[in-house]
Amino acid sequence: MKESYRQTEESELVKASIEGDKLAFGEIMERYSKMVARTVKGMLGDSVYAEDIGQEVFIKLYHSLSEFRGEAKLSTYIQKIAINLTLNEIKRRKRFFSMFSQKGNSEMYEYEIADFDSEERRDASELVNKALMGLDPKFRIIVAMRMLQGYSTKETAEILNLPLGTVLSRLSRAQEQLKEILEKL
Amino acid sequence: MKPSELKSLIIGSLDEKADPQITARKLEEEGVSFDFSKGFSDKVIDRISSASDTISTEIEFAKSMRFAFNRIAITGVAAIVFLLISIFLADGSLSLNSFLGIENTFDEDIVCLLTGN
Repeated sequence: MKESYRQTEESELVKASIEGDKLAFGEIMERYSKMVARTVKGMLGDSVYAEDIGQEVFIKLYHSLSEFRGEAKLSTYIQKIAINLTLNEIKRRKRFFSMFSQKGNSEMYEYEIADFDSEERRDASELVNKALMGLDPKFRIIVAMRMLQGYSTKETAEILNLPLGTVLSRLSRAQEQLKEILEKL
Repeated sequence: MKPSELKSLIIGSLDEKADPQITARKLEEEGVSFDFSKGFSDKVIDRISSASDTISTEIEFAKSMRFAFNRIAITGVAAIVFLLISIFLADGSLSLNSFLGIENTFDEDIVCLLTGN
């Protein structure tokens, strides 16, 4: 077993992970955990639930790596798993909260802000979190992908399997919603 | 960056012509970064390993159960065959009465047996 996979190509990492090499899989996690965190935490808020979903994403990836054909980028494949699991969690929590509470969606996502080295940085993070959590989930995913991940409209459409027109119209509606939310903050 | 500037950046990032990568970079510079807690990878690897252990334990259990079932099933079938042969040898048939042990019994005998007269 190799001691370090820092310089190893992605395809080799995938192959080694399929063979059960946990070090190789650890390197895949190292490379993509930030990307997954941006998607999951951007959608669910910076909470312990997001950490759990993040873990689920990589566990699912580990078990489905043998099905990865390498036709798409590994990052896209991971991103799709992250989005699906996060949307499922949102649906699950929406069902749960609709049974027991009359509160609106925005109140069901509690989030904890991590330690920051300055108040200004914490404020910026808090503002973005609050703005995202106030958005409708179908807009939130598009905003999170564009604003936090830096994906273009075309890339967003490809990853979400949506027509480009739908992404554009959702972006425009999300922008309107964001303006209203940010005015109140 | 002032809150008002940050708000403008967020709203502006959704413009069709805005470069999303620049916004993402600027937000990261302002401290808007997301990452998992320390030891995240270790937790995932632990969960994967424990799931593999559980699966192998379940497979072992299923194997043991199958082995035990085969043993019990073979013994059971042998016992049933032995019982059928012995009933046939004793009563000369495999009718319901011979199963119940009343093949060579008259109705009066049963009444006698039950009433004691």
